[in-house]
Amino acid sequence: MSLVAEAFVSQIAAVEPWPENATLYQQLKGEQILLSDNAASLAVQAFLQMCNLPIKVVCRANAEYMSPSGKVPFIHVGNQVVSELGPIVQFVKAKGHSLSDGLDEVQKAEMKAYMELVNNMLLTAELYLQWCDEATVGEITHARYGSPYPWPLNRILAYQKQWEVKRKMKAIGWGNKTLDQVLEDVDQCCQALSQRLGTQPYFFNKQPTELDALVFGHLYTILTTQLTNDELSEKVKNYSNLLAFCRRIEQHYFEDRFKGSLSLRLS
Amino acid sequence: MGTVHARSLEPLPPSGTDFGGLGEEAQFVEVEPEAKQEVLENKDVVVQHVHFDGLGRTKDDIIMYEIGDVFKAKNLIEVMRKSHEAREKLLRLGIFKQVDVLIDTCQGDDALPNGLDVTFEVTFQFSYGTKETSYGLSFFRPQPGHFERSFSANVYKVTGQFPWSSLRETDRGVSAEYSFPIWKTSHTVKWEGVWRELGCLARTASFAVRQESGHSLKSSLSHAMVIDSRNSSILPKRGALLKVNQELAGYTGGDVNFIKEDFELQLNKQLVLDSVFSASLWGGMLVPIGDKPSSIADRFYLGGPTSVRGFSMHSVGPQSEGDYLGGEAYWAGGLHLYTPLPFRPGQGGFGELFRTHFFLNAGNLCNLNYCVPMGVQTGDRICDGVQFGAGIRFL
Repeated sequence: MSLVAEAFVSQIAAVEPWPENATLYQQLKGEQILLSDNAASLAVQAFLQMCNLPIKVVCRANAEYMSPSGKVPFIHVGNQVVSELGPIVQFVKAKGHSLSDGLDEVQKAEMKAYMELVNNMLLTAELYLQWCDEATVGEITHARYGSPYPWPLNRILAYQKQWEVKRKMKAIGWGNKTLDQVLEDVDQCCQALSQRLGTQPYFFNKQPTELDALVFGHLYTILTTQLTNDELSEKVKNYSNLLAFCRRIEQHYFEDRFKGSLSLRLS
Repeated sequence: MGTVHARSLEPLPPSGTDFGGLGEEAQFVEVEPEAKQEVLENKDVVVQHVHFDGLGRTKDDIIMYEIGDVFKAKNLIEVMRKSHEAREKLLRLGIFKQVDVLIDTCQGDDALPNGLDVTFEVTFQFSYGTKETSYGLSFFRPQPGHFERSFSANVYKVTGQFPWSSLRETDRGVSAEYSFPIWKTSHTVKWEGVWRELGCLARTASFAVRQESGHSLKSSLSHAMVIDSRNSSILPKRGALLKVNQELAGYTGGDVNFIKEDFELQLNKQLVLDSVFSASLWGGMLVPIGDKPSSIADRFYLGGPTSVRGFSMHSVGPQSEGDYLGGEAYWAGGLHLYTPLPFRPGQGGFGELFRTHFFLNAGNLCNLNYCVPMGVQTGDRICDGVQFGAGIRFL
C-alpha cells in the first residue's frame, strides 16, 4: 500500500471503536501450531488482555497463508487485517489504547531495545530449535507442520518451510551455530531479562507494557511445550524471577483459560 | 584514499546470463590518481555500511541474503569483488533493471580510518507480478494401428492472476489422459493431480477471498465426450456440437472432494443470403462431497467477451466486497445471427473472414442453495460499450 493509502487506513482505524467481534487467527492448536508461532500468538493475546480489549481466537490450518505478511498471528478487526505484534500495537494505539504512554523517552527506547533482544535472540533460537535441530525436526516439526495436508503435500510444504528457515538462518549468520551455542544465547538473553526485571512485578514497575506481553508469550510457551528434550525450558527455569513473572501474568490475565497449568508443570 | 567507481555493466543479454570474472567483463575501474601510489590489494579495510538507494518495496530479507557477503570482505580487492558478486546476484533476482555500485570511504563520527561505505543504487523494472513463470511438458502417443486413439501425459506449472476476484493461483500438476472414439463420438478419460496454491492479489482483497488462501491438493478422474458435426469450428455454417464433461475429485487422494458436471451445446443453421443462425447453451453444476465448502479454484465463472457479453470479465454472480467468488451452478445461452459485412468489402478474399454478428446473451450463476433468476442482480458488473473478444470457446 502506498504511504498515502496507509495514512488513510490508519485514520479510518482511529475513527472506529474496537468491535465486539474482533478475531485473532492462528494455526490449529492441538496438532499443527509450532512453538515459535504459539509464542507469538500468546504474546498478542496477552497484550490485548492487558489493554482490556476482547478478542476471539479462531484456529485455521491456513492461517499462515491468510496473513498479509505471511506470519501469525493476525487480527481481523472491522474490515482491517493486521499481523504481528509490532503493527498490532500501532493499530491498537491508533484506536486510543496504549500500555506504554506512561513511559518517558528513555524508557520507551529501552523497551524497544529489549523487544528487539527477544525477537533477535529468543525467537531465532526457537526457530533454530524447530527447524535446524535434526532430532526436533524429525520427531515433532515435520509431522506437526504438515498435519492438515494430504500426502505428498504435507512433506512438500514441510521441506519447503525448512529450506526457507535455514536460508534465513544462514543470512543472519546462525547457519553454523551448534545447539549448545544457541542454548548459551538463550541463557544470556534470559539473564539480561532477569536482571532488568529484578524484583519488580513488571518490566516497568507497576504496569505491564507490550514488552511484558512479548516476554510472557515466549517464556510461557517455552516452559509449557513438550519438546524432545528439556534443555530449552531448563535455561529459563534457572531464573526464578522470570518464573514468578510468568505465574503472575498467568494468574492475572489467563486464570480461566490456563487454570494454573504452569504451576502444575513446574511442580 | 580516493573514490572507486564501478561502472555498471551492459544489461543482461536475452539469451541468458554469462557471468565472467571481474577481470574479463568490467569496463572500467577508475582510481583517481593520488600524489602517492598505494598498493591497494593488501590494504586492510572494513566495510562499515552498505546503503541501498531506490529500494521501496523489496522485502529486507531478500536483500540481506544477497549482500551478506559484502560485509565479510577484508581488503579492497575483496570488497570490489564481493560487491560485484552481490550486484550480479541482485540482477539475477530479476527485479531490478539496473544496479550501480559506489564504494567510498566512510565519513562521519563513527568512521574508522580504513572504513568503507558501499552503496547499491537500484532501479526497478517491474513491480507487479510478472515474475511468475508457467511451463508444461507433454508426452503424446497415438496408439499404433488405431491413430484416433491416443495417450498423453502432462506435467505443468501455471500461474494466473484474476483481478476480478483479487486472487492469484499457482497450479502444479500432472495428468494422464486417454482419448478414443466410439462411433461418431470422441471420448477422453483423464486422471489429474494438482497442487494448488491460492493467494491474495492485493492487500485490499476481501476477507472471503483471504480465507481461501493456502494450499490444497486435488486428485480427480474425469470423462469428456464430444460430438461435433459442424463443418468448421471457427464460424461454422451448419452442424451441431455437444460437449459433456464430468469430473470426480477426491477418491483417489488429495483433500478436495466434489463432483462436477458441465455441458456445451451449439446448433448452427444456414439461412438465405449467406447468413448463419446459431444458438448455444452452456450449463454446469458443482456439488461438494462432504462438509467442506467448495474452493474458489473449482467454481464456475461467467461474464466477458467470450461468455455472457455486456458484463466485465467473470463478473457475474456471487461476490464479496467487490471480489467475484464464482458459483456452483450456472447456465448461459446465446442466440446469434452472422451475416456478411455490409456492402461485402473484400468479397472472395479477406472480407470472407469477417462477419457482422448480432447476438443476444443471457446467463445465471449462483450458489447451489440460492438461485435468483432473470435480470441483472445487484453486484454484477455491467460493461457498456464495445467489447472485443478472441478465444477458443464462444457462447
